[in-house]
Amino acid sequence: MSALPRIRVKPLTWTPHLAPVEIDDATPAQLAAMQVTPSAKKISPYVRTLAHDPESYVARTTLFNAIMYVEGGLPRQDRELGALSASLLNGCRYCANVHARQHAKLSGASEVIAAIWTGQMEKLDDRDAAIIDLAESLTCTPPVAETAQIARLKAAGMNEVEIIDLIHAIAIFGWANRLMHTLGHS
Amino acid sequence: MNKMSPSRPARDADAMDRAAGLNPRGAIFAARAGRPEFVDGAEACRVAVLSPQDDLGLSLPLRQAIARRAALSSGNPRLIAGYPAPDDAALSALAEGDTPTTPREAALARHTDLIAHEPGRSTAQDLEQLQEAGLSVAQVIAVSELLAYVCFEVRVAHGLALLEDAS
Repeated sequence: MSALPRIRVKPLTWTPHLAPVEIDDATPAQLAAMQVTPSAKKISPYVRTLAHDPESYVARTTLFNAIMYVEGGLPRQDRELGALSASLLNGCRYCANVHARQHAKLSGASEVIAAIWTGQMEKLDDRDAAIIDLAESLTCTPPVAETAQIARLKAAGMNEVEIIDLIHAIAIFGWANRLMHTLGHS
Repeated sequence: MNKMSPSRPARDADAMDRAAGLNPRGAIFAARAGRPEFVDGAEACRVAVLSPQDDLGLSLPLRQAIARRAALSSGNPRLIAGYPAPDDAALSALAEGDTPTTPREAALARHTDLIAHEPGRSTAQDLEQLQEAGLSVAQVIAVSELLAYVCFEVRVAHGLALLEDAS
């Protein structure tokens, strides 16, 4: 078995296919959705692209933040691993890049990312392998996840509340990837 | 270990509970209430993509037809039933997975199938086709959010149903 290489994932830049909302032309609802204030006028192209539909932008962002950052339950690095696995399968390079870096930062180690990047899945521990297994089987269309995947997570020490958190982290990237990848390029 | 089932559900069943087939007196229905941000957040998203205050020129029946077509990708009859079949003949082909004869509905049908099944293959050209079929930029965004919401719902419902089966 070869040793895992040291991996440092470099950030990517995202560019929309469609013209984003310009702050000077934005409606009051769009400005409120983007949380534009006199001291915060610099809004990313991604946010300005989605702000064309301010109602869905606000609702989705609220849900996304709850799923990825709510306290308690599943450790954040595990949510990031679910997000990363979904993004890889959905072909969203930008999201995979962001969430690989988040996972490395939160876990304080890059071995998991190195194992995934180099296809050495046998080097993952049971818990990480079980997370990736659920993420992949839930992300494909139609989803093919079975109770065996749930049993595998429970055997790795995950309780029902944590599994509910993981299901949501995987599923919200079934949403986010379908915006980030389809509405722009990196 | 599961807690004792409550004698009466603590909340009303919502679209996600129904799509997942959760028993309102069961442990997973009760466990969902432990994450009110997810329950309320998913329902607020459903409203925002299906029946927003400003529909941006995309009617509720059209949005339901698009959602139903995307939902067909789940193979989950309970989830599909959450999007009623349209009365309108032009929307029916879109909703039921057939090939619509009107240009706008045909473009929407093609895009829905692509995003539901192979989002990784989507390119800038696919958005151009929607615009050529008459959709504005705001409408393309609204359709994208609607399709992606249904794909989210499909996966949460599938996962919750597994937990229900395993509990």
